[in-house]
Amino acid sequence: MTQEELAEKAGVRRETIVFLEQGKYNPSLNLAHQIAKTLKTTIDKLFIFD
Amino acid sequence: MELTLKQYNIIRIITVILLSVMFSQAIIFRNFWIPMILLVVGSLFLMLLRKNVKGVLVDERDYATGGKAALLAMQIWSFIAVVIMFALLTLSDKSPVYQAVAMTLSFSVCAFMLLYSVIYRYYNRISILDKRLILAAFVLAIFIAIFVVGALRSFSGEDNWICQNGQWVSHGHPDSSVPTQECK
Repeated sequence: MTQEELAEKAGVRRETIVFLEQGKYNPSLNLAHQIAKTLKTTIDKLFIFD
Repeated sequence: MELTLKQYNIIRIITVILLSVMFSQAIIFRNFWIPMILLVVGSLFLMLLRKNVKGVLVDERDYATGGKAALLAMQIWSFIAVVIMFALLTLSDKSPVYQAVAMTLSFSVCAFMLLYSVIYRYYNRISILDKRLILAAFVLAIFIAIFVVGALRSFSGEDNWICQNGQWVSHGHPDSSVPTQECK
């Protein structure tokens, strides 16, 4: 899945996905859930909590 | 007609450039109605365009960044304006214009901070449906205020020729040349 496709499904801009991947942005719980759902995984598997 | 983000951005930039040119020309010719009408038409046009865009224009990261940027901009501007205000007040004995500018700056900072605190409270308290209604009312109030100021500016007679001691004296910056009829 491309960043563009993920962004579209999660309802955000592609740049936000880039920022998430680079660890420069902390998503809201809603967005984290949306991305996890799109990627068919769970939030705790997808994100690392420091 | 559906627009892509790229098309929308290009149209938006062209619209803003055209509006800026028309704004500046209208102000040079001292016509304040054209900018007001252009402001309303331009805003409606961009709103209409936005509805036809396929894709997300603004997301939660933009709002978060925008909020931080707005807060920082307000703090920086308030600090600079207050410093300039005090500097101008100390120079006010040299020219009354300095005092007027200082007062304008101080009132603008007060209004700015008041507006910020009102918006902050509104975001903290009200549900999403009410927020939209209040935002629409706020935008409407701004347009009404602009029209009222424009109307007062146009019909107040502030910029006119006044007959004083048998001579025409300009009051403000009248658009017309000196009246030809006799001043009694």
